[in-house]
Amino acid sequence: MKDINSGKELVNKVKNILKNYDFEIIASREKSELTRFAESYIHQNVAEADLNLTVKIINENRIGAVQMNSIDEATISKNIEKAIEVTKVTPKLDYHYQLLTPQSYKIKSKYSKVTADFTPLNRAQLVKQLIKEVNKRGYEAAGAFKTEESTLLVANSRGVFAFDRGTKVDFNCVITRDNSTAHTSFIDSDVNNFNIKKVTNELLETALKNVEQIEIDPGVYTVILSPEAVAEILNYAGYTAFNGKTIMEGKSFICHNQGKKIFQETITVSDDPFDELTMPLPFDLVGYPREKIYLIKDGVVKDGVYDHLTALKYNRKCTGNTLSPEYASFGALPFNLVMEEGDSTIDEMISDTKKGIYISRFHYVNILNPMSIQLTGMTRDGTFLIEDGKLGRAIKNMRFNTSVVDMLKAVDMISKKRQTKEGFVGPTVAPYLRTNNFTFSSKTSF
Amino acid sequence: MKEILKNILDWLEPKVNYADLRFVQTEKENIEVENGILSSYNVSTSRGVGIRVLADGAWGFAASNNLDKASLQETAAKALDIARASALTKKEDVRLASEDKHIDTYITPITKNPFQVSPAEKIDLLVKATKMMIKDKVKKSEGLFIFYKTDKIFVSSEGSELEQTIFESGGGITAYAIGEGDFQKRSYPSSFGGDYATRGYEFIEEMNLLENAERISEEANQLLVAPPAPTGIMDIILGGSQLALQVHESCGHPVELDRVLGKEISYAGGSFLTLDKLNNFTYGSPKVTIVADATVPGGLGTFGYDDEGVPASKSFLIDKGKFVGYLMSREDAFELGLPSNGAARAENWNRIPLVRMTNINLLPGNLELDKLIGDIKEGLYLDYNKSWSIDDKRINFQFGTEIAREIKNGKLGKIYKNAVYQGITPEFWKSCDGISSEKYWHIWGVPNCGKGQPGQAMHVAHGTSPARFRKVKVGASK
Repeated sequence: MKDINSGKELVNKVKNILKNYDFEIIASREKSELTRFAESYIHQNVAEADLNLTVKIINENRIGAVQMNSIDEATISKNIEKAIEVTKVTPKLDYHYQLLTPQSYKIKSKYSKVTADFTPLNRAQLVKQLIKEVNKRGYEAAGAFKTEESTLLVANSRGVFAFDRGTKVDFNCVITRDNSTAHTSFIDSDVNNFNIKKVTNELLETALKNVEQIEIDPGVYTVILSPEAVAEILNYAGYTAFNGKTIMEGKSFICHNQGKKIFQETITVSDDPFDELTMPLPFDLVGYPREKIYLIKDGVVKDGVYDHLTALKYNRKCTGNTLSPEYASFGALPFNLVMEEGDSTIDEMISDTKKGIYISRFHYVNILNPMSIQLTGMTRDGTFLIEDGKLGRAIKNMRFNTSVVDMLKAVDMISKKRQTKEGFVGPTVAPYLRTNNFTFSSKTSF
Repeated sequence: MKEILKNILDWLEPKVNYADLRFVQTEKENIEVENGILSSYNVSTSRGVGIRVLADGAWGFAASNNLDKASLQETAAKALDIARASALTKKEDVRLASEDKHIDTYITPITKNPFQVSPAEKIDLLVKATKMMIKDKVKKSEGLFIFYKTDKIFVSSEGSELEQTIFESGGGITAYAIGEGDFQKRSYPSSFGGDYATRGYEFIEEMNLLENAERISEEANQLLVAPPAPTGIMDIILGGSQLALQVHESCGHPVELDRVLGKEISYAGGSFLTLDKLNNFTYGSPKVTIVADATVPGGLGTFGYDDEGVPASKSFLIDKGKFVGYLMSREDAFELGLPSNGAARAENWNRIPLVRMTNINLLPGNLELDKLIGDIKEGLYLDYNKSWSIDDKRINFQFGTEIAREIKNGKLGKIYKNAVYQGITPEFWKSCDGISSEKYWHIWGVPNCGKGQPGQAMHVAHGTSPARFRKVKVGASK
């Protein structure tokens, strides 16, 4: 399924086998390569070519799905037979399943031929350049550099046909010298936008400050969060609070707060495939066009995102956030989380802070209480005191137990600059944030 | 398929220091039921070949779902190209701990093939169980079964030829009591999808889901109106299911030698169990002995050979509180001058073997559970994980549990909700002063251990029986 024509052939192949049934299909083809390095040498270096075909059969309001990674006619027929058999014995859904009708799509994934053709040698040469520079300063480098080309086809027996092709570059690196560490990450659709020199300089700048960490006591602090840290918080909030299914089930913070102005007017968070900094998918996995959905607008809690099944079951509008049938029971996730920018520079945010903490990155975040969106996690790779408007001494890592709601309520500065960071589905676009309510509960020894 | 793999190996051999090829074909059946209605039925098959080569002293790996000989030869050539690119940054040649040549087959012993049990029977069981749980404030119930059959062929340039068929079965049920601004859940037999084993459908039948559905529904209802767990320093008992995750996060991961050597530092992190601590560090109290045992029948981390062709084995990690061993691949074991203990595992054909847990088991003590509880004046009994987090060296941890029971004057009392406990790994394990006996010991399957880039979810397990820990910091999530 390299191009749109082979996608059409695949749809026809399935149609010929499934003459008497309604169906949906998702087909994806992926060429993904990843170079991983640690202790300043490439220790793992992999390439993968795979395709996946998922066929979902709808038979008198009963559903069965099969997934395979071989698309010869015999394999497809054999697997489809299994799904048909299942639909004959399973109970009917408690709502009426409807197939989507043909749609039009306003956007496309970004594609870069240079990225698609990037070789293991190309990646190794850039990694070598980074290693050389950080080694000069006594640091070791570890990280991963991925380049990927993917195609996605979504179709159904009612004529939906959505085809897309995209590329992705994903780079992350930690440099270490004893307890001095720094981290950076980069994602984009085009490897030409990846500047190894800039990345190296950023790493060294942070690492050279992150030395001789001191201990501070747990408590409630003013913190400035990097876009990386903000993106992680937003994704956990998206996962636990803005899933339409959990809202319908009464298991989300949104249930009792929809329409309420809880946050400052400066807080706007959306699922936005049109933001210039994101990498969009044009459609979800039943073929709904992606659209901009406000989750929080001008401080007001709006709504979550809805998948096709939840929308049908609860008579809601699908927002174009349907996941693959494998995750159907989960509900929906925001694909392209975006937080709107503010008007501050990061320098202004620091110079305006009398006493606070700058957080570069979190580690092992998890949900403590879904209804208050209370999260826990550790800081990592560069946590600094801010004293009298200046970024000062590095501090040892801390555990936080903090409610995202309380944290966002106390946001008083947002940066103009935003960065694109990895998200749970697609990328997340996040600014720097300053909040006056962030709770650390304990510390660690490094 | 084996012959095709051997042909490719013949082509590769003159060009490499070492090569192995793995064909893996996985069938998976996934059934999910909510409130008595089937919400998802998925059957999937995945097959492909992963080719790993050591050329110019560096690793390359390429994998493809295309199984014809010409495509596989292209994949092998790609692996070679990648190895040569890796060599651009090498410091020294990769060396592997020596391993005997093995020619063998292994099949998971099962009584009832889960793929021969009708979908209708499986769905019916979950429909019944999930309907039984809907009561009072329990408005949502879930049931899940997952079955795997994985066929593997492994050939290596050292002459090993291994064929394995691994069966895995698992699942569980969950009740959600939903109130105004709060919900509480109870799971059975374990949280986050239940319990898993390398066994057949008999494992599901022995779970007694229907016999436990009403009980956990009742507990979820009780939790909804229960007070939050008290805050303070107190003695706790961890039930087997929660203790499995405690072993996983605070012992299983830090003993992975690749983490110790810095190979995971950018993503999962490192380990406090640095090389200088091997045989020279008190990890826990003398009550604490933890082994890696891939041979124990039924464990989700049980197999015949790992994905480097090393036989499954049992080795000590913590012996009476002393730190004595790591989980190792052949490459990492060479660094210590040791043989591999068979812990290099790959999620699928398209992933390389990494150092992974197998069955990491806390050996049972000799106490009756009554005695364990009886020696606590004031404390908590905590079980079934709800939240977990640990720092990147595996020192500072915090776990939340679905349910807490008061312990007062040696007796179990009322239920508390939202309990969390925090600790520092070696201090916590040093505070363990009692482990219940084999009678309470169970191997809990964990099917979602994440590691590596690209990510790999590994199926591992932990044998535990409830254990007591003194003076632990406890609180409640808000």
